Amino acid sequence: MAGVGSAVRRLYLSVYNWVVFFGWAQVLYYAVLALRETGHEAVYAAVERPLQLAQTAAIMEILHGLVVYFLIGLVRSPVSATLPQIGSRLFLTWGVLWSFPETQSHILVSSLVISWSITETIRYSFFGMKEAFGSAPSWLLWLRYSTFMLLYPTGITSEVGLIYIALPYMKASEKYCLRMPNKWNFSYDYYYSSLLALLIYVPGSPHMYRYMLSQRKKALSKAKAA
Amino acid sequence: MKVTVVSRSGREVVKGGIDLKDSAKVADLQEAIHARTKKYYPSRQRLTLPLQPGKGGKPVVLSPKASLSEYCEKGSGSLTVVFKDLGPQVYYSTLFFFEYLGPLIIYPMFYYLPVYKFFGYEGERVIHPVQTYAMYYWCFHYFKRIMETFFVHRFSHATSPLSNVFRNCAYYWTFGAYIAYYCNHPLYTPVSDLQMKIGFGFGILCQIANFYCHILLRNLRNPSGSGGYQIPRGFLFNIVTCANYTTEIYQWIGFNIATQTVAGYIFLVVAASIMTNWALGKHSRLKKASLFDGKDGRPKYPRRWVIFPPFL
Repeated sequence: MAGVGSAVRRLYLSVYNWVVFFGWAQVLYYAVLALRETGHEAVYAAVERPLQLAQTAAIMEILHGLVVYFLIGLVRSPVSATLPQIGSRLFLTWGVLWSFPETQSHILVSSLVISWSITETIRYSFFGMKEAFGSAPSWLLWLRYSTFMLLYPTGITSEVGLIYIALPYMKASEKYCLRMPNKWNFSYDYYYSSLLALLIYVPGSPHMYRYMLSQRKKALSKAKAA
Repeated sequence: MKVTVVSRSGREVVKGGIDLKDSAKVADLQEAIHARTKKYYPSRQRLTLPLQPGKGGKPVVLSPKASLSEYCEKGSGSLTVVFKDLGPQVYYSTLFFFEYLGPLIIYPMFYYLPVYKFFGYEGERVIHPVQTYAMYYWCFHYFKRIMETFFVHRFSHATSPLSNVFRNCAYYWTFGAYIAYYCNHPLYTPVSDLQMKIGFGFGILCQIANFYCHILLRNLRNPSGSGGYQIPRGFLFNIVTCANYTTEIYQWIGFNIATQTVAGYIFLVVAASIMTNWALGKHSRLKKASLFDGKDGRPKYPRRWVIFPPFL
């Protein structure tokens, strides 16, 4: 039973990782194509669908992490590291870019989408290789644990920049806001929540960066010892 | 006897060790370490016996009131202890005082001061009776907590790490402001008079019950603070292990029924989950094999709800 179980797990994770890999590869390809043929204003329209699909599919990864508590354990990444990452990605994809079209023609969309898609194609092919073949080539391991050093700063800067640009549109449109008076004496302001999100980037970014640095140390020294 | 004090990495914390009388207690050792190291006053020290290599499990913590000889290997006149610095400590009473003081002061600020002008709400504010009662209820609650901190509670540990002050104050003060903002809002919508009376009435009953639970818990511990676990008995403790948490949660339910704010309910859920976590730990500690398992003449811990009949 255990043998069948882990084979199913491996098959599922291989398929998942390779499918999402192709999603992100598409994003990267269309982004670069649009950038070269037209210009940065056209990048969003070119990548919208594959971006939304590939990014939203990542919710599965929260489930994979949670399954740890109930079954044998699907993946090793802690929920505390995946949740903020996926949270910020979904916020940008749906809560900023899709909700406020005024942001879509900005040049930061290009840097965002290219940073994300390079990172994700490396990451998903790395996991895809490990699940399908048992191990990943050392150059891919190196890429996986090194490119973040450039791509985290470029990606985070793009995220913060785009949220900042969207702020006036959030305020003016009152989108996603709930006002008083109401029976439940509750209110929600999307503009202020986004400001709060921006504030969270201040301690959050060094935290994520340091986490990746410590993961890098562990992974690369383990590879050396092997 | 000779005591060697090492850090977890093996380095000697007190060079040359410490010489003490054979009859010395752990507290004497802590005083001696403090004398030699200046920085590490006793409540900052965590002393454990070295773990045997290969053996798992948690290290044995030295209890301050015990004799050092209890921890020595039989026959030898020496002892090695592992030292861990717990960081700067504050008294639990200090910690509780500051975390409760925040809500006590912040909530009335939203009630009495023209705070909402800064949020863009000009003009006169109509204050509904329920908002006044809510302010009194809230302030009484935190006043009660402060009084209990100084006159009722007997703490198992005297101190808590300093970092907890910041963490706990952030929790209480932020939620206090968040709830106070909505409860005192110029556009606040009150519930029916009947619902308000039911909410506050139930809440007050639960606060009284909660106070009585605290008195019962106090009487389980003797004044010298010698600690140790007892089976709580009497009143609601006969049916539920952590009746004090139960009554506290129900008391917040009462407040929320009367005031009806999403912010209040969010706080209720968060507070209830924190307390449930504690209750599960307490319940399992009390049922633990070496304490109340009914064997060797020990009393057996009775079957009881943990915190929330009939669910948990």
